[in-house]
Amino acid sequence: MAAHLSYGRVNLNVLREAVRRELREFLDKCAGSKAIVWDEYLTGPFGLIAQYSLLKEHEVEKMFTLKGSRLPAADVKNIIFFVRPRLELMDIIAENVLSEDRRGPARDFHILFVPRRSLLCEQRLKDLGVLGSFIHREEYSLDLIPFDGDLLSMESEGAFKQVANMMIRMKREFTGSQNSIFPVFDNLLLLDRNVDLLTPLATQLTYEGLIDEIYGIQNSYVKLPPEKFAPKKQGDGGKDLPTEAKKLQLNSAEELYAEIRDKNFNAVGSVLSKKAKVISAAFEERHNAKTVGEIKQFVSQLPHMQAARGSLANHTSIAELIKDVTTSEDFFDKLTVEQEFMSGIDTDKVNSYVEECIAQKHPLIKVLRLVCLQSVCNSGLKQKVLDYYKREILQTYGYEHILTLHNLEKAGLLKPQLGGRNNYPTIRKTLRLWMDDVNEQNPTDISYVYSGYAPLSVRLAQLLSRPGWRSIEEVLRILPGPHFEERQPLPTGLQKKRQPGENRITLIFFLGGVTFAEIAALRFLSQLEDGGTEYVIATTKLMNGASWIESLMEKPF
Amino acid sequence: MNTGQTCRRVCSGLAWMAGLEGGDTGHGWTGSGGNSLLLPSGSSQAASFGKCFLDRFPPDSFVRMCQDLRVLNAVRDYHIGIPLTYSQYKQLTIQVLLDRLVLRRLYPLAIQICEYLRLPEVQGVSRILAHWACYKVQQKDVSDEDVARAINQKLGDTPGVSYSDIAARAYGCGRTELAIKLLEYEPRSGEQVPLLLKMKRSKLALSKAIESGDTDLVFTVLLHLKNELNRGDFFMTLRNQPMALSLYRQFCKYQELETLKDLYNQDDNHQELGSFHIRASYAAEERIEGRVAALQTAADAFYKAKNEFAAKATEDQMRLLRLQRRLEDELGGRFLDLSLHDTVTTLILGGHNKRAEQLARDFRIPDKRLWWLKLTALADLEDWEELEKFSKSKKSPIGYLPFVEICMKQHNKYEAKKYTSRVGPEQKVKALLLVGDVAQAADVAIEHRNEAELSLVLSHCTGATDGATADKIQRARAQAQKKMEGLEEEPLETLPTEQW
Repeated sequence: MAAHLSYGRVNLNVLREAVRRELREFLDKCAGSKAIVWDEYLTGPFGLIAQYSLLKEHEVEKMFTLKGSRLPAADVKNIIFFVRPRLELMDIIAENVLSEDRRGPARDFHILFVPRRSLLCEQRLKDLGVLGSFIHREEYSLDLIPFDGDLLSMESEGAFKQVANMMIRMKREFTGSQNSIFPVFDNLLLLDRNVDLLTPLATQLTYEGLIDEIYGIQNSYVKLPPEKFAPKKQGDGGKDLPTEAKKLQLNSAEELYAEIRDKNFNAVGSVLSKKAKVISAAFEERHNAKTVGEIKQFVSQLPHMQAARGSLANHTSIAELIKDVTTSEDFFDKLTVEQEFMSGIDTDKVNSYVEECIAQKHPLIKVLRLVCLQSVCNSGLKQKVLDYYKREILQTYGYEHILTLHNLEKAGLLKPQLGGRNNYPTIRKTLRLWMDDVNEQNPTDISYVYSGYAPLSVRLAQLLSRPGWRSIEEVLRILPGPHFEERQPLPTGLQKKRQPGENRITLIFFLGGVTFAEIAALRFLSQLEDGGTEYVIATTKLMNGASWIESLMEKPF
Repeated sequence: MNTGQTCRRVCSGLAWMAGLEGGDTGHGWTGSGGNSLLLPSGSSQAASFGKCFLDRFPPDSFVRMCQDLRVLNAVRDYHIGIPLTYSQYKQLTIQVLLDRLVLRRLYPLAIQICEYLRLPEVQGVSRILAHWACYKVQQKDVSDEDVARAINQKLGDTPGVSYSDIAARAYGCGRTELAIKLLEYEPRSGEQVPLLLKMKRSKLALSKAIESGDTDLVFTVLLHLKNELNRGDFFMTLRNQPMALSLYRQFCKYQELETLKDLYNQDDNHQELGSFHIRASYAAEERIEGRVAALQTAADAFYKAKNEFAAKATEDQMRLLRLQRRLEDELGGRFLDLSLHDTVTTLILGGHNKRAEQLARDFRIPDKRLWWLKLTALADLEDWEELEKFSKSKKSPIGYLPFVEICMKQHNKYEAKKYTSRVGPEQKVKALLLVGDVAQAADVAIEHRNEAELSLVLSHCTGATDGATADKIQRARAQAQKKMEGLEEEPLETLPTEQW
């Protein structure tokens, strides 16, 4: 059922089963028919652990989205609220409950806090006079949701803003529970997004990364424009084109996707065409099947072949969609500028492409992403350059974005260069962040995921496993974040026992988010024959540059 | 030992076992025995001996019976004096018996029984220790210090002992100080904090909550503190607790905006104060005067924060708002809250070129962007005449390729062609290709001897119509190749998008 979770060294399916069991137990506590009222944000993450059928088996008859005023009518005994512990949601719940009480037959109300029960919220419910209406008030600790065999995420939005708070908490929880819950991990590496602000800003160039950049992957689902997926029928005249977006689930359960997701997009085409040949050859074999036995064997393989063909068709369509974007002139120009910045060319003056983007009112997120990238690649911009960009942005997109700019400055993404020193070249050279000779087809280094740029975060992980961070102490000192020093004692855990011939397993926890390209790079390291380390990745949020900047944007009206 | 004896023993052993099975030997024995002997050695020994001769006899009931008998004998001891019969004991259950022992403060015996019966700690030893501790805290003649130490020595880290329960009992007896000392041993902050609050030790509760890292706990304490202290004291308390302060700020952002302002004021955080007033200028104020006033406060704050840029930008915005209001009055239409760029665009679209110029000058819009702006607006209007006039007004700071592009975007090839001749040499090929003049593009590319340009043109050669052009390029290429022999040159573009 969730085979993609158990292929790795660490069986994450166990985790999924555990949370499923917990959910079933809770549902069974509320006897009788049920309606669930969902905090909309939670439906995505829940979809990854339990389908509607599971809920149905436990007498869940109706599902609603949490909204103000009154609940839609439902003839059920129990009404259960699945919510994040947020005060504003409590107000809505109270409104719901009160209006329901007025309506007539008594219902049983329950509330399930995800991931944590909150005294504050209960206090608010009490103040609103509805706390007593709830029979069961429980928490459902859906902290880390297994996404794939080696990937866990907390999917908490706005996490980056709260990294500071989270850090303290996470650390405590992990030091306490690491051994008891995951005795399978040899090392735990906590990486704060503050250490590597650069990587998410660059455009990801792996297949999965590009799907995310262009269409956005939400809880492992992606919505795509439907035109390319229309079933090809002859004489149809294209009159019944589907208008609803095509929704696809993307994970390693799909054999083909598992193979291409982490490849550089330029290497995907050849795999797809090779696969196409293999599959059509397999179908051709039916002509060779002469005896009944042969035919039987062919037929028995059919379902698998058809699934493979379907998956190939889907990915060919997606690849075509992506190719339309990546071959566009603007994508090329943007990429050129990004790569110039990352390789340290002209980062200290106003960039004419960025200027043009502003003048033509390209999407603000794109502009901010580029400006932030330039700032990070220059250890901050010269005051004059910074002010020029800021002024241009305010004049073009509106003064209200001064709040967004301020948030970016607080996050360190945008800043004036202090002391006139640019540290980036040192970091780039020592950590070999820019590789000129990239082999996209058969990569030899993690830099293939950005076609030249090796993600700083992953490089740090790589160096930690070999030869250790002592070799790069200089650079560690200039990397941002005073917390960094604090976390250096962690590597002492490295010297743990290790069976001969077996790879170490490192749990790498990205506080503040991780991109698909970084995941791809870590998977690449896991697969290296002489790598010696396998990685399981956990994070607060799967993110990309756009979603990141968006989480820092503020619109006052 | 002769055989006869052995036989008898076996027989009596068997009889005892049979009794066990039937469940009444215990009764019979208690009835007849009735004294405080531990076990009637004869029959138990006989039983233990006899069971060796029984196949597949589960030993559990034998063991259990022995244990029960031992417990019964222990409580029947004259020091204790609880003369229970077996059936009374079974009726009561061991839990109740333990409770009675606890009530009589016979803690050591109760604990020994628990250990002997191997009861789970939570039901057994820990529970009794907790009772003991609760009794201990009521001993008024012993000092707090000693009681706390004694309790901790005995209890240590025994799992399942709730120090907070004991502390609650101590607090119940009016020994607050002792309660606080005991709470120190409580490892779960979730238990610690509410009791501390109840005892009105809110500041201690706050630091415990912060130590726990549990934001929810911190909030609970904060809200409690807020009701308990006056505003000034509350702020002062927060001041020394950066984590609590930042959490409280977050809370205020959603719940109590005014408090947030006071907090920033107290900290002299002028930057945040400025942002606060900006938000207010959008959210709280409807009238233009009110909005401008809020912005003025923001600008003042920014000056105090030494953020010259933000202050100037805010003043510009005030100017713009007033101007937009005037424009709405005079020209009609909507201007308020448009960006400066959009305001100028709207003016041009409405044919108010003079005003647009004036605005651009007043706010010093850079030349380049102004050209882009005008270009886009005029093309949107499809005012080709004006566009041409504009292109000739002076030398374009953005070149002439954008003119070609924008005309083609509006599908006006005729207008687009007017500008191709003025496009600079580097972009000429691109411009010519845009208007579909492949032949001329080829000529220019050949003239430039630029390989990248040549292949670009070649990729635009479609079908038979451009056949001649394609041939021409191939010839030129071949020629160039000959000349270049030895000086092999890679195409410049090695970027990923080109290869696929």
